[in-house]
Amino acid sequence: MNASYVGRRLFQALLTIAFIVVLNFILFRLMPGSPERILTRNPNISASVKTELRERWGLDKPVIPDQFVAYLGATAQGDFGLSYQYRGREVGEVLGSRIWPTVILFGLGEAIAIVVGMGLGAYAGWRRGGPVDYLGNGLSLVLYATPYFVLGMFLLLVFASTLGWFPTNGMLSAGARYDSFVDQLLDFGHHLVLPLATVSLGLIGLYSILMRSAIIETLAEDYVQTARAKGLRDGHILRAHALPNAMLPAVTIVAIQLGYVIAGAITAEVVFNWPGIGTLTVDALSTRDYPVLQGVFLLLAVSIVVANLLADLLYGLLDPRVRT
Amino acid sequence: MTAGSVPVGDLRGARLRLRLRGAREFGARFVQRRDGLVGGLILLAFGLLALAPGLFVGPLESVVSATGERFDSPSGEHILGTDRAGRDLLNLTVHGTRVSMLIGLLATLVTVFIGALIGIVSGFIGGKVDTVLMRLSDFFLVLPTFVLALILAPILLDIFGSQAELLGMRVTLLVIVIVIGVTSWASTARIIRSQTLSLRERAFVDRARVVGAGPGWIMRRHILPNVVNLIVANTVLTFAGAVLTETTLSFIGLGDPFQPSWGQLLNQAQSDGAAGLGAWWVLAPPGIAIILVVLAFTLVGSALDDLLNPKLRGRR
Repeated sequence: MNASYVGRRLFQALLTIAFIVVLNFILFRLMPGSPERILTRNPNISASVKTELRERWGLDKPVIPDQFVAYLGATAQGDFGLSYQYRGREVGEVLGSRIWPTVILFGLGEAIAIVVGMGLGAYAGWRRGGPVDYLGNGLSLVLYATPYFVLGMFLLLVFASTLGWFPTNGMLSAGARYDSFVDQLLDFGHHLVLPLATVSLGLIGLYSILMRSAIIETLAEDYVQTARAKGLRDGHILRAHALPNAMLPAVTIVAIQLGYVIAGAITAEVVFNWPGIGTLTVDALSTRDYPVLQGVFLLLAVSIVVANLLADLLYGLLDPRVRT
Repeated sequence: MTAGSVPVGDLRGARLRLRLRGAREFGARFVQRRDGLVGGLILLAFGLLALAPGLFVGPLESVVSATGERFDSPSGEHILGTDRAGRDLLNLTVHGTRVSMLIGLLATLVTVFIGALIGIVSGFIGGKVDTVLMRLSDFFLVLPTFVLALILAPILLDIFGSQAELLGMRVTLLVIVIVIGVTSWASTARIIRSQTLSLRERAFVDRARVVGAGPGWIMRRHILPNVVNLIVANTVLTFAGAVLTETTLSFIGLGDPFQPSWGQLLNQAQSDGAAGLGAWWVLAPPGIAIILVVLAFTLVGSALDDLLNPKLRGRR
């Protein structure tokens, strides 16, 4: 991978982040009476804090350049202002306390879905028209058409409220005291099962459909024909020739879909009242807690851009053809 | 074209006949694809419900005009049961069809219009215009609709006020249409642009230019008709995405409680704790309706894609 490829991708990612930051600033000023209203309407802050905020954000000075510069400086330091609903706590702090439940739920779900979904898709594409393909593809299409929260509500209905196998909400039992860390971990795991099943099932549909078509496309390539003509065994062709090449588009797809997955994870969290970024977002929406919403927007947008950058770089590493 | 030998006066008629024959052949091929046909029939059924919901279940029940008891399970009187306010679920779901489909349709039209306009202009004009427009589309491609909508929708709702009406539609619904349209045109623009790039180099475009046609005329009369196929296939898939996005946005509380879409119904079910209470009949009707419609759009979309993209034909 040469330096100019890396440099160009890096530049593109930085440009996009700059775009996001500027957009956030513009939207902030678009609202009626804002940003004055946004910053100072907060019922949980005192008059002295208000004066401090006015100075901090340069609200008595013109929008360009003073307010813009103040905004850029604050954003660069991770300062998004104060939350309304959390009694004037800093947005960065609120986000920090909610990020781990989401990372765990989402990271595990993504890992399970990549292994199971891509495995299923690869096998279905390999044995095209067979029973696994027929069933698996049909199921994947239905899963793909199902919004995460609908899936989550059905799972909750069946496995939590009807069968009673799993708790209906939260991350840990309310008011529980644990004798040991292991007990706490077990309780956490018990709460995790249904949200995790929701996120991974939703993703499995998507990944298996995409992997199936990637494999089918790869199998039509000349080098697979050549391998067949050389008399190589089926399994060997799949593992050594078809899979590695079909994995290439898969890497990009995982990154591109990240945004949609985040949307899904947000709604899945709401169904199970999982205390992550998703429930935080929905609470912030209903109370119009704009500082928190902006923090969430920047956090999600920048993570997506970074994930795309990583995927691009990984792709360059895997596929010599795009390194130019 | 075979119309070359026909007298000028008959040209229009001949062209029409050719089109009709093409449409018939296309219809016959489409019907042969069983998955596309099934999807089409499902959409037809929901389309009828959306056109005249009152005809099937009477006027929309509100909290005031509710006809049943609270959380009644399905019975002869209420085939799909009732929700927390005693409203009939069948009534709500059928009326929800209209809201969901209408928002989906309008959002799709906005998306495809912006996408086609930017794609054709960007591809045909080229140069700096192309660079700027494609950078812009990069931005929207990377950032998913939902993440942008998360910040755009509440701001627009606050600017317009959630009670206002515009063109006979509640502003809450229009905001969702605008948000989806403004944030999801990029992939359409990309597809149309690449096709335009190849069309621009064809001989018929050069000939049009030689006889004095301006860029606007060429784009409208020569490029546009040649990308219509792509636009149609893209529209169907965009529609599925729009319905899903609308549902998700309504579910997280950006919908309109007075014009309930399926997502809004599920939002209410969620805040009433229907899943926890075991009230499956409150979740199932809107939930299954969403799954069916999105599935049907996906089936029709991929069938159309196969038929309209000669390159893909016969690959499955």
